[in-house]
Amino acid sequence: MSNPSEINGGSAVAMIGKDCVAIACDLRLGLQSVTVSGDFEKIFQYGGNFVAFTGLATDVQTVSTELRQKHALYEMVEERSMEPNTAAHLVSSMLYSRRFAPWFVGPLVAGINSTTGEPYVCSFDSIGSMDVSHDFVVTGTATNQLYGMAESLYEKDMSPEQLFETISQTLLCAADRDAITGSGGLVYVIEKNGKVTKKLLKSRQD
Amino acid sequence: MSIVSQSPYVDMKALKKGEVNLGTSIMAIKFKDGVILGADSRTSMGAMVANRVTDKLTKVHDNIWCCRSGSAADTQAVSEYVRLYLDQYKINYGREPTPKTAAALFRKLCYENKNVLTAGIICAGFDEKTGGEIYSIPIGGSVHKQDYAIAGSGSSYIYGLCNTHYKQEMSQDEAVEFVKMSLTQAIRWDGSSGGCIRMVILTKNGVERLLFTPQEYQLN
Amino acid sequence: MAGLSFDNYRRNKSLEASGVLPPKTTSTGTTIVGCKFNGGVILSADTRATAGMVVADKNCLKLHRLAPNIWCAGAGTASDNDKVTELESSQLEIHSQWTGRAPRVVTALTHLKQHLFKYQGHVGAYLIIAGVDVTGSHLFSLHAHGSTDVGPYLALGSGSMAALSVLESKWKEDLTKEEAMELCSEAIMAGVFNDLASGSNVDLCVIEKGKPSRLHRGYKQPNQRLQKQRNYNFDIGTTSYFEAGSEVFYISKQSDLETSAMEVDQVS
Repeated sequence: MSNPSEINGGSAVAMIGKDCVAIACDLRLGLQSVTVSGDFEKIFQYGGNFVAFTGLATDVQTVSTELRQKHALYEMVEERSMEPNTAAHLVSSMLYSRRFAPWFVGPLVAGINSTTGEPYVCSFDSIGSMDVSHDFVVTGTATNQLYGMAESLYEKDMSPEQLFETISQTLLCAADRDAITGSGGLVYVIEKNGKVTKKLLKSRQD
Repeated sequence: MSIVSQSPYVDMKALKKGEVNLGTSIMAIKFKDGVILGADSRTSMGAMVANRVTDKLTKVHDNIWCCRSGSAADTQAVSEYVRLYLDQYKINYGREPTPKTAAALFRKLCYENKNVLTAGIICAGFDEKTGGEIYSIPIGGSVHKQDYAIAGSGSSYIYGLCNTHYKQEMSQDEAVEFVKMSLTQAIRWDGSSGGCIRMVILTKNGVERLLFTPQEYQLN
Repeated sequence: MAGLSFDNYRRNKSLEASGVLPPKTTSTGTTIVGCKFNGGVILSADTRATAGMVVADKNCLKLHRLAPNIWCAGAGTASDNDKVTELESSQLEIHSQWTGRAPRVVTALTHLKQHLFKYQGHVGAYLIIAGVDVTGSHLFSLHAHGSTDVGPYLALGSGSMAALSVLESKWKEDLTKEEAMELCSEAIMAGVFNDLASGSNVDLCVIEKGKPSRLHRGYKQPNQRLQKQRNYNFDIGTTSYFEAGSEVFYISKQSDLETSAMEVDQVS
């Protein structure tokens, strides 16, 4: 046990397509090399925003719950749905408020802006530095592998169907080269018209 | 600026990691008509020269200035507090603060926050009644009234030199030459001092600033 | 800052005591420069953000707007730079609304240095601050511990040595705007190509007296990726998935729910 972000394992990736975004995570929860669970979902839905949290599982649960509160309060007070960039800034502020005592999480935000129709993905470090990307973002213990896969597989303006294949293969192949990422995958493809396709991937279980 | 002290002992350790350092040669002397403050212009971060034309001579009031050595951040913060307090002093009491008042403020800040500060300051000023005055406030926060004061890493090399050559009641030209000669030697032998020599002359006529580039002061 | 929370501090400290390493944060291992010219001042920066040896962002923006007439470039910890500049820009806006005047560069500088000094270097923002105000054009650098410097040209960050070598050899007095833009971008390029933690493109911002500030995003783009000749697109249906665990649904808007609820109360 040396790095809190690598105790439980797990990774996530998000990609932009044409009028759509996709976000995917693995399903493993472990204690170092011991796999404890194979259905630990790391993607959480907040209205039209999908947020993945990787890192220390206890913090993943704490932060995702706290974000649920804040999101609900926002929609109640503002009487409108939260846009993805707003969600991203909210996550960033939450993380930076713990600047000197951080949560060990690496979040991703994915969604489509309801007024402009622009797809949006963003990643963060544990203290809230935002990295808004025009193609893809990755996080988790398989970060290096995901970067390698995504850099080579990613194409601009993919259709929702094509985007599903690309993000799935990116995740599955990266997970094959990370011992503590895997045990199944979960993919959400979000389209401009509000259609969400959730798919549970078949993957190796070792 | 009250900072809760964590330890009763003075932490004489070097600067915090990555902190900007005024590895310095600074001095101030009294002469016939007032005082002269002098300093080199190098600031370093480890082995890197962060600024080669730094101004370490800082105004805290019209006729009271200081030379800063130690941590750049700490000494800038302290002298800005003193500047604020002296401005308030003038408003509250309707008269110019004396160099002695300024030195007392420096002492208060440096002594009460000795656990967190790395600041070696020479405070010098011209006073209508008493003429020039020089106060040295080294790291622990003590005050020493002196005819001339030297401080900073480069000062070690010129203690004997200054002691031998300093005379009371020098003319302005003699005094400028003395400061220039002394700092030239400090810069010559101290690796963390360098750049230009800056001077500030405080007399009844006001403030005069001088700048000597390496070409102007270096002998060979 | 509305008070930072130290709730996890003791937990994380005890983790650290048992040999746990602190988390890796995104750092803008950076080259940033600033340079004055005869009508104003220029800021320039590279666009690489790193986390260890991984390039976290290939095209991040390190030039921040504090006020319409005051900009700053940041090196050091990415989130600290973002938050500290966000905070300062809102406080400057409030200050200028309150006073009815355009903010001054020294106001931003003093305020930022007091904030950074308070945090004793733990807020890792290393800034070059530039702008024009009623007193003229100004260029300052500010280190994380709270020390400031003044100069006609300045460089900061891991690539500052490379940038400074260009500035020291080519800077002269009374530069024109075009000369200064060329000098700054050349200095950043020296960092981009010679410092591993700096890379990608050159961003540049020109702040001139009596003119709106102009940000040139991607002023120089010497590291464009070559167009791929072929692609790795998979055939649709390549990835196998469980029909059982999969579903299709539609996002419901909060406003949709709200309008339908409200209509119930309408008196016809």
